[in-house]
Amino acid sequence: MPEFQFEGMADFLAMGGHAYFVWMSYGFFFVVLAFNLWLPHHQRSRLLRLLRAHQSRQAARESPPSARPAALQTNTPPGA
Amino acid sequence: MLQWLYKLGSPRHFYEMTTGFLPWLAGTTFLLLGIGLVWGLGFAPPDYQMGDNFRIIYIHVPTATGAIWIYAMMATMAAMHLVWNLKVADMVAKSCGIVGTSFCAIALFTGAFWGKPTWGTYWIWDAKLTSFLILLFVYVGVMALRSAFDSETSASKAASVLTLVGVVNLPIIYYAAVWWNTLHQGPSVLGDRDASANPPEIWIPAFFSGFGLIGLLFLIVILHTRNEILYRERRAQWVQELLDGERAHA
Repeated sequence: MPEFQFEGMADFLAMGGHAYFVWMSYGFFFVVLAFNLWLPHHQRSRLLRLLRAHQSRQAARESPPSARPAALQTNTPPGA
Repeated sequence: MLQWLYKLGSPRHFYEMTTGFLPWLAGTTFLLLGIGLVWGLGFAPPDYQMGDNFRIIYIHVPTATGAIWIYAMMATMAAMHLVWNLKVADMVAKSCGIVGTSFCAIALFTGAFWGKPTWGTYWIWDAKLTSFLILLFVYVGVMALRSAFDSETSASKAASVLTLVGVVNLPIIYYAAVWWNTLHQGPSVLGDRDASANPPEIWIPAFFSGFGLIGLLFLIVILHTRNEILYRERRAQWVQELLDGERAHA
């Protein structure tokens, strides 16, 4: 079983005097990968929102006027 | 097996198959990465020459190798798209762009922060480093070219062709340290008998972080591909039903 190579947390963070280089590398690594995991999730929720909005518009157009929500039934242009 | 591969070629089947597979892939990936990085950072013995600075190896080597392999995958997909006009292949190729660029950037960045204390410089125009920098530019170039077209078909074709041209860079990167006398070392020897080889205590955690990062690559590419499938198949019946289903859940 491998043993912990450092004497406590402070020694671990110091990385034998190489703290700056080791933690900069790992920091960049985690930031870039976190962005890579966040991006597709963000794009997915945006895409689903867009597709749903499109679907609702489509449904409203195809249904008879009486079934439309009240907001869509007015003939007055907005702002009039 | 062939049947399975054939099914993956259909966007709908790709989407449905990956739905069940994703949680398992994500779980395994984070488990392997967690073990590899904790082991590498805290439990692997320090290098006798480089001290604790060598711990950068656990992210540098797998991201650099990953950046090369994902390019090879992107090129394979581009070829399949050009030859068989396979839609899913093009979607996968497109999804490789950002993650490939990211892996490239991580490899260059961690390499610089490893080079400074070890070689005394962040950067040097040596064959290995320069050819790797070119790989980063090729990734960016492929993505830029794809986004420069209004028509999706032309964009896919142009991006596929440029991707295949970029393959010429891969053997150069791989053999740079062998063909030329570079500051960057050649591939390390692994083993447990040879005294000059790296001992298992050093490379076993690297296997964990390496396989973890391969899993992460696939995870990110699949997530992007699924988005691309939903977008391109947005008029298909099954996507409309999927949207209805998710709305019912919400």
